[in-house]
Amino acid sequence: MNATILGISAFYHDSAAAIIRGGEIVAAAQEERFSRKKHDPRFPKKAVNYCLSEAFIEPDELDAVVFYDHPLLTLDRVVKSILSAAPRTEEQWMKASRSILGTKLFVSDLIRDTLKTDVKILFTEHHASHAASAFYPSPFEEAAILTMDGVGEWATTTLGTGKGESIRLLKEINFPHSLGLLYSAFTYFCGFKVNSGEYKLMGLAPYGEPVYASAIRDNLIDIKQDGSFRLNMEYFGYLDTNRMTNPKFTELFGGEARNPESMIAKREMDLAASVQKVTEAVVSKTARHLREITGMSNLVMAGGVALNCVANGLVQREGIFDRIWIQPAAGDAGGSLGAALLASYERFGARRERDPAGRDTQKGSYLGVGFSSDEVRAFLDRRSLRYSRVESLEDRAELVAKALAEGRIVGFFSGRMEFGPRALGARSILGDPRRKDTQAVMNLKIKYRESFRPFAPSVLAERSNDYFELGSESPYMLLVAPVKEEHRLPMDIDNFTQDDDLLALVNQLRSDVPAVTHVDYSARIQTVHKETNPEYYAIIEAFEKFTGCPIVVNTSFNVRGEPIVCTPQDAYLCFMRTEIDLLVLNDCILRKEAQPEAEKDESWKVEFDPD
Amino acid sequence: MEIQLQQYHPIIGYHFIPNLRTRCEHEGGGYLLRANSAGFRSEREFETPKAEDIFRILLFGDSFTAGDAVSNKYRYGDVLETLLPGLEVFNFGLPGTGTDQHYLVYKELARDYECDLIVIAVQVENIRRVAARYRLAKTVDGADILLPKPYFEFGAGGELVLKNTPVPKEPLRPEDLPEGEHDFVDRGGRMFLLRKMVGKMGGCVKQLAQQLSHYQPLPEYDKPDGREWLLLKAILRKWTSETDKPVIIMPVPLYHYVEETASAEGVTARFAELGSWENVILHDPLPDYYSVPKSERRRFRFENDIHPTPAHHRLLAESLAAPVQELLDRKAGGAASI
Repeated sequence: MNATILGISAFYHDSAAAIIRGGEIVAAAQEERFSRKKHDPRFPKKAVNYCLSEAFIEPDELDAVVFYDHPLLTLDRVVKSILSAAPRTEEQWMKASRSILGTKLFVSDLIRDTLKTDVKILFTEHHASHAASAFYPSPFEEAAILTMDGVGEWATTTLGTGKGESIRLLKEINFPHSLGLLYSAFTYFCGFKVNSGEYKLMGLAPYGEPVYASAIRDNLIDIKQDGSFRLNMEYFGYLDTNRMTNPKFTELFGGEARNPESMIAKREMDLAASVQKVTEAVVSKTARHLREITGMSNLVMAGGVALNCVANGLVQREGIFDRIWIQPAAGDAGGSLGAALLASYERFGARRERDPAGRDTQKGSYLGVGFSSDEVRAFLDRRSLRYSRVESLEDRAELVAKALAEGRIVGFFSGRMEFGPRALGARSILGDPRRKDTQAVMNLKIKYRESFRPFAPSVLAERSNDYFELGSESPYMLLVAPVKEEHRLPMDIDNFTQDDDLLALVNQLRSDVPAVTHVDYSARIQTVHKETNPEYYAIIEAFEKFTGCPIVVNTSFNVRGEPIVCTPQDAYLCFMRTEIDLLVLNDCILRKEAQPEAEKDESWKVEFDPD
Repeated sequence: MEIQLQQYHPIIGYHFIPNLRTRCEHEGGGYLLRANSAGFRSEREFETPKAEDIFRILLFGDSFTAGDAVSNKYRYGDVLETLLPGLEVFNFGLPGTGTDQHYLVYKELARDYECDLIVIAVQVENIRRVAARYRLAKTVDGADILLPKPYFEFGAGGELVLKNTPVPKEPLRPEDLPEGEHDFVDRGGRMFLLRKMVGKMGGCVKQLAQQLSHYQPLPEYDKPDGREWLLLKAILRKWTSETDKPVIIMPVPLYHYVEETASAEGVTARFAELGSWENVILHDPLPDYYSVPKSERRRFRFENDIHPTPAHHRLLAESLAAPVQELLDRKAGGAASI
């Protein structure tokens, strides 16, 4: 049946919508891109509108709308958790009840009121949504499924299988025992924002030593041989307070949590390295157990923990499974996609159409809004902006590659926007990875931040093994792998002390592609494939022709704290607010020096909270 | 995110971005918008030649005709096609434009299309728009801007002279409006600030205020020799005299007249002046609104947005179907002209 299903995730963080027709993904997008509010948790009205626009249907043509988790089960978990620690949890209850009783329970009314139609509304369970988002778009006929996140209803980890059109969840670990929340507790303790700073903690880990790993294992988490675990709630605050940790946690790790504004010290680096090591151990053991109980050779993953590309890379390199596929929108946003896919296959009888070439059906995750050349020119002409039009893809690729090779920074806006947290060459800022100053320039003059994290490399898929010990594709930037020995340069890391500036270390040359090499010689890789993004591929190919290097630096097209740009207008604003030299808007090229003198506009620094 | 829907045109001011395909958020639940390669909202491409057995209408108007707030298929032009088999409507409606711009659309972009009938839908507020040189609009960021527009003035010999073309590309900030131009801004109605203030108090307060004050939104129609009416009339006269096809002029009423909170006497009287023009059929749909009980007419607009609802479009289509059917019958009977 060719049912058209709209999936919605909302009310926690990163709300999103996705639309499926006959099992095929038509569109998916996060609300933040339209609302311009980072991690926007509100009902994704604009993303829903976009999905209906892409499918070009009226709401009454939908066969169903599926919400990605079950509000009643969530209420059950919240009430029981709060009662277990009452009366200390009064404040918790007030906060949670506002959210759950205020909106979540009435989600059906909200959907119908938004769409102005009496559509059928279904609910899936949170981890079933994640599992579906991981399995159905994967290239596998059958696969073991692993989902891990903070919490969804009761579950925090689920193990399952997918075969053909059906999914079975076999085991789960329930709240409050959560690997995601353990990681978030350290994220909070190290002074980063929960639900967005986890990535920073992972990036910080290579600077530290895992000296606290034993303390974590001995006190905070009991890890069994099969990867299952229990947290010792005596150290955590999230059950009975509004904080992730409590005084006992503070005492265990030698003092108060880091103030977000203060300098990052050796302790935070070591804590990051330690919790990362423990996380990798849990993920690895769980994956081994999953392989044992399912006997399957493929693994698919989703849930916030699946965005930990260092752990993913480890599982991949350990060869526990023959092949791994990770949902690029692994967090809650991807729940909208999973919910719609699950309903499509299990409720409406869609048949999975495998790609003849054995690729996934995520379409490179270019599932978001796109703008035609006419639309881009209408925007530019209305503002009398100076641009040149380069209609030939080859000529455009050469022009961009040449600019990159000359050390220019390029804002690259092309085709449909990515679904998921990573920019994959549709809304990206590009640079030359070989240059010593690229990382500093991109951080200070474009992102307006000082970062201890290097940027990600986009490498031609066929050339990735020449530079990285990857051994597989990584089209969604979800695997970290070492830079090959022959490209590395010696680093003076042994004399690094607690008082040293992280940035001095990160600015040391580490390889012949320093802008994308971390201090541990790792890189967060995106392999670029001609089939999914021919334009981006052509640029890197042309860059290789000019320089011999098949890699460009790829970072998200935004400033600090801003959601990734969505429209030509967003892209132009970001271009003018930063020191990006060249802006590519589909086939229109804008040079900074040809633009009108920008009015001094620093409003974005207030508009966007630092992340 | 607001999607930009229009692109610049040097004579008309703007038209839809060719081949645009999007969905606009709206209090009515949102609506699908598809434009063809000519840059007009249409489910079909406009082809110049016309099949012999097809009766083709070229339809001109503003947002009421273009269909702001409803999907293409619910617009009265599209509904009319479903009511009368063999009918083909080329909808050249453009939101925010006046009859002067509709005439320019005809001259610049539409007149080469073969047709059997031209329908000029004059949303009655157009009397104000033809006298304006700028239209107040919002940027995608929500800031007020003034969009320059083409306009006509009477020349020394009483002829119409086109001004402000090519239309300046750059919108103006209200504070940058040149001295002496303030009276030529179409702000969407009278008493701009008062309307804005009352509007903020909610629809009910606004309606009550209008009823109590017997608010007449368009006093420009009160006198047969008013400047704005003479200009609108001259434009319609020029347009209808330049075609050998029959023309229906259809005044499309504002909700004040539909809901009878204001007298439509002036509007009706002025448009009646056109009924005697050669080759012109005046079709006033107001009596068809009045055939619906007064208490039910509120459903012809949205809660906040005054644009026609699908029910309103249907009523307009059914109303317009009568004179069109008559022309269809005459064509079937072999009549060369009306």
